Amino acid sequence: MSPSDIEARPKQKIERREESTRPGAYFHPAVDIFEAADELVLLADMPGVSPDSIDVNLEGDQLTIEGRVKPEDYEGLKPLHVEYGVGGFWRRFTLGEAIDCESIKAQIKGGVLALHLPKAERARARRITVQAS
Amino acid sequence: MAITYRDPLEQLQRELDRMLESAFGSAGASAAGVYPPVNVFDAGEEYVIKAELPGVDPGKIEVNVENETVSFRGERTFDEPNRDVAYHRREREQGQFRRVVRIPGRLASETARAEYRDGVLTIRVPKAKETRPRRVEIKAD
Repeated sequence: MSPSDIEARPKQKIERREESTRPGAYFHPAVDIFEAADELVLLADMPGVSPDSIDVNLEGDQLTIEGRVKPEDYEGLKPLHVEYGVGGFWRRFTLGEAIDCESIKAQIKGGVLALHLPKAERARARRITVQAS
Repeated sequence: MAITYRDPLEQLQRELDRMLESAFGSAGASAAGVYPPVNVFDAGEEYVIKAELPGVDPGKIEVNVENETVSFRGERTFDEPNRDVAYHRREREQGQFRRVVRIPGRLASETARAEYRDGVLTIRVPKAKETRPRRVEIKAD
């Protein structure tokens, strides 16, 4: 079976961002979030964001990710034909699980943020065996 | 005296927004179903074509420059988690992509170069010599 073509989805511009101090456009990154027995994993598409311009912040159950693009990548460029807007990425999630804040791991490679959020000990799933009578 | 912080990106963003809206309406190009959307810039001596392709193996991107056309194709594939997981959200897509972009000018295709950095593909194609802006020196006695 040949892989299907990627379906285009418009970049979602954020009209109002909470606690925004910096000017400029921000977009919602597309994310995958999955849960394993011991951790939550979040993958976010943040093209143009380098490892030194990303912030991950967990306060209580509020997880915020923010990435900025480098203005120097666009220096001296005059737009001729435009199909997408350029800006940072910002998104906030409310986590349903207790997370062990000390052991969160974040990595960004090829414009994809990979965030590993280990569950706090008490929140880990316990397998309950149901006994048949 | 108040110091105004100005993001150098802001002006570009405004210009991009204005051009986006005039070309496609506020939904942008993706409403027309093309992936990935591309931006084409004039950088004086060369044209710069950018496309956002996060998480793509650069070895799987093929770029071609011919006459007045720049094209690229490739595939975006993810490693599936090799354990039991439950998806909460699944918004990122994988699959093939292909774009053909006509550049409004003649190209010196033999010196084109492409780079993939932080998930952005940037193709730089010098303009053909005769179409480059030429600076003319003024002689004074």
